[in-house]
Amino acid sequence: MEYANLRRQAASLKRSLFDQGYLDEQFCQVEDLQDEASPNFAEEVVSLFFKDSARLVANIEQAMEKYPGDFNRWDAHMQQLKGSCFSIGASKMSNECTSFRNSCAEENAEGCRRSFQKVKREHAILRQKLESYFQLLRQAGPARTATRSGGK
Amino acid sequence: MRTEERNGVAGAGRDQFPVGMRVLAVDDDPVCLKVLETLLRRCQYHVTTTNQAVIALRMLRENREMFDLVISDVHMPDMDGFKLLELVGLEMDLPVIMLSVNGETKTVMKGITHGACDYLLKPVRIEELRNIWQHVVRRKFSTRECVTLDTYEECNKPLSADSDYAYGQVTCGSPDQSGRPSKKRKEYHSEEEDEDEDSNGQDNDDPSAPKRPRVVWSVELHRKFVAAVNHLGIDKAVPKRILELMNVEKLTRENVASHLQKYRLYLRRLSAVASQQAGIVAALGGRDPFLRMDAFEGLQGYQAFTSPAALSSFSAHGLSSPRNNQAAVVIQGRSIHTGSVSSTTNNSIGDANKYHLSLQGNQHGKLAQGLATSLGQAQLQQKWMNEDNGDLSAILCGNSLVKGMPSTLRSVTSSTLLPQDQVECTQAKVAIQPSIRAPPASLELLEGAVGASSDPLESRVSQQGALPLCGFSGSRLPVHGPFNNNGATRLGDAFSASFRPTNDLTVARGSKVGASSFGGTIHLSPDTEQKYWSFGSGNSFRQKADESSADSLLDPKLVWSSSQLTSNVDAHHSMSQRSNNCSINIGHGARMFGQISANASPVVPQAKIDFLFSGDTSMARNASESSIPRLQTELSSSTCSFDGLLNSMIKVEKDDNAFGDDLGCDFYSLGACI
Repeated sequence: MEYANLRRQAASLKRSLFDQGYLDEQFCQVEDLQDEASPNFAEEVVSLFFKDSARLVANIEQAMEKYPGDFNRWDAHMQQLKGSCFSIGASKMSNECTSFRNSCAEENAEGCRRSFQKVKREHAILRQKLESYFQLLRQAGPARTATRSGGK
Repeated sequence: MRTEERNGVAGAGRDQFPVGMRVLAVDDDPVCLKVLETLLRRCQYHVTTTNQAVIALRMLRENREMFDLVISDVHMPDMDGFKLLELVGLEMDLPVIMLSVNGETKTVMKGITHGACDYLLKPVRIEELRNIWQHVVRRKFSTRECVTLDTYEECNKPLSADSDYAYGQVTCGSPDQSGRPSKKRKEYHSEEEDEDEDSNGQDNDDPSAPKRPRVVWSVELHRKFVAAVNHLGIDKAVPKRILELMNVEKLTRENVASHLQKYRLYLRRLSAVASQQAGIVAALGGRDPFLRMDAFEGLQGYQAFTSPAALSSFSAHGLSSPRNNQAAVVIQGRSIHTGSVSSTTNNSIGDANKYHLSLQGNQHGKLAQGLATSLGQAQLQQKWMNEDNGDLSAILCGNSLVKGMPSTLRSVTSSTLLPQDQVECTQAKVAIQPSIRAPPASLELLEGAVGASSDPLESRVSQQGALPLCGFSGSRLPVHGPFNNNGATRLGDAFSASFRPTNDLTVARGSKVGASSFGGTIHLSPDTEQKYWSFGSGNSFRQKADESSADSLLDPKLVWSSSQLTSNVDAHHSMSQRSNNCSINIGHGARMFGQISANASPVVPQAKIDFLFSGDTSMARNASESSIPRLQTELSSSTCSFDGLLNSMIKVEKDDNAFGDDLGCDFYSLGACI
């Protein structure tokens, strides 16, 4: 395997994610936190994010069904999800979360539903992309001690 | 997210502060928590994380020394971040930083008013975290700065910081008793301004006055003041002469004048209370849960002889913290395991108000309770703290109390007043009773004190019967601290105010206090101070809150209802504002003890009795409600059982000449508190 190559691929994938706005600077911070003590920190955080966000998304969905019109509740749930998104730098997704919350504020149920669909979609897209990214990194080998792929 | 409960390694890296600073991070979002934890580690802090606020509180309560700083998310499912904030502030007087995705001004403002020392937006950047240690340092400095006038700075500090118990300690004559390193309860209250406030435990109110260093009316100072007044005769006491007699440098005539005014109001209140003694007794009914320190908030008020302005100062604190600060009942130290730490700042105070004066039965009891509460507070705290029973104890014990009750308790933390929330213990027990037993003499004083405010007490007392008063125990007297704060959590202090010494206490005992019972021994602060304590302590408590102008014996916002676990903090707030007088109580409470000479720690210092007084707090709303009365409501509910308590207290005291005299004065504080 050509580690260098893989790493390059990972780096370019990451760059594109940034360029397309899927990720923002916070993601860099998260990756920055990786060190020898926790070499896979970013990946751990991201997988934790997806696991938790899936749960949150399900909660929101359930809330929307069970408590129609209870915008406060929806908003509260979404706020949690938004917080998570912020923490890893999932910017597109968090934007959709924001628009969902705006709809809640306006008590616009239809707007909420639409936003929510977008949130779910962004969530799925991001997950897929980040999974590829980390897979590349993993394949590129643990020996990334010297340089960090992704050329931060 | 996993919940790690690592014991803060004491001292690890503390020497190289900020390296090794021990941070407790609370966030229900696992992703955020993980990232935050790692960021903090990157800053070389020692981090403990938990995703549940209740666990966080527990950890903090178990060992306050374990952490230097708390970072908490605002939106959490099990407990509102603000409530936690208040509680922590009240009980532990630790700096708390809020985190949220929500950066709206009003939310940020809420955080500040609840006592957050900072508010960060998510996603948090490492640069921001690198500087958070400044809050720890600042807090420490503030504490030290308080008390410009007196050597009892330390003492005052604790007081202010809703660490009522600290007060107790203070009275004991060891200025540094406060023990807790960052006791700045008071500071907590005004978290936002803690920089400013810290500098003086001064509760001096009068925000509108031209800038002048605030005066902290420590027990010592108050004692001198009272001595001077007595010497001149209350009618003839004029500020100028008093000042001369007191011979304290840096004290201005204006300071004395305003203090005198408060004192006079307090006295008036005491006499009013005395008349209601009977009423109170009945009211008290013996309900257990009285300690619901929620009432403490009211106590806070007491502290502040200072004008209600103090209350405003609270704004920051949220009493408690809170912050928590609300509960006047500052239940000292021991975090009342109430667990229900409602958002610290906001709630705290409300709870305090709830002190239920569980004056049980007897008339005396009522007072006793009240006293007990106050006394108990001090004592109770101690006692309670140790005891399981009671959450009350926890509450009373003040310090830790804060926890539960976000706001109310907060203040309580210092005082035994069980933070209402903390009171989870349902212990009405806190009802001061048992502990108050403390030296009979002292009790009397307490009673007297209580009696003084009997009016308010009565109403209150009846309610809950559970006078959270406890906490007078000198050391504990948590009352002080938080009361000042905006009433919010300061409960702690409040309590101390009214313990009924001796006889009445028994009555109190009857009341639920049971468990925590103030334990017979009201720890009144050292004799010497005692007299002054009551008044002074009120003041000291005031420090924090300023708000409660002690003058009015105030309605016993007493949060007597310690039982309230709920964060009556809110109540406190109201109390604190009202409690203006409250602060006074504490002082008197102390006084009474002084006379009593019982070792009771100046219960008064508990002055936090404020909470007792927190009239608003429905303190003993229902005397019948045995469950730890929601201090808040209870207190406020009636004319303040506390008053009745005071009255009864006062009556009891009558026998005690010494006390009698003092009562006048002492009660002032109590009355005020009430």
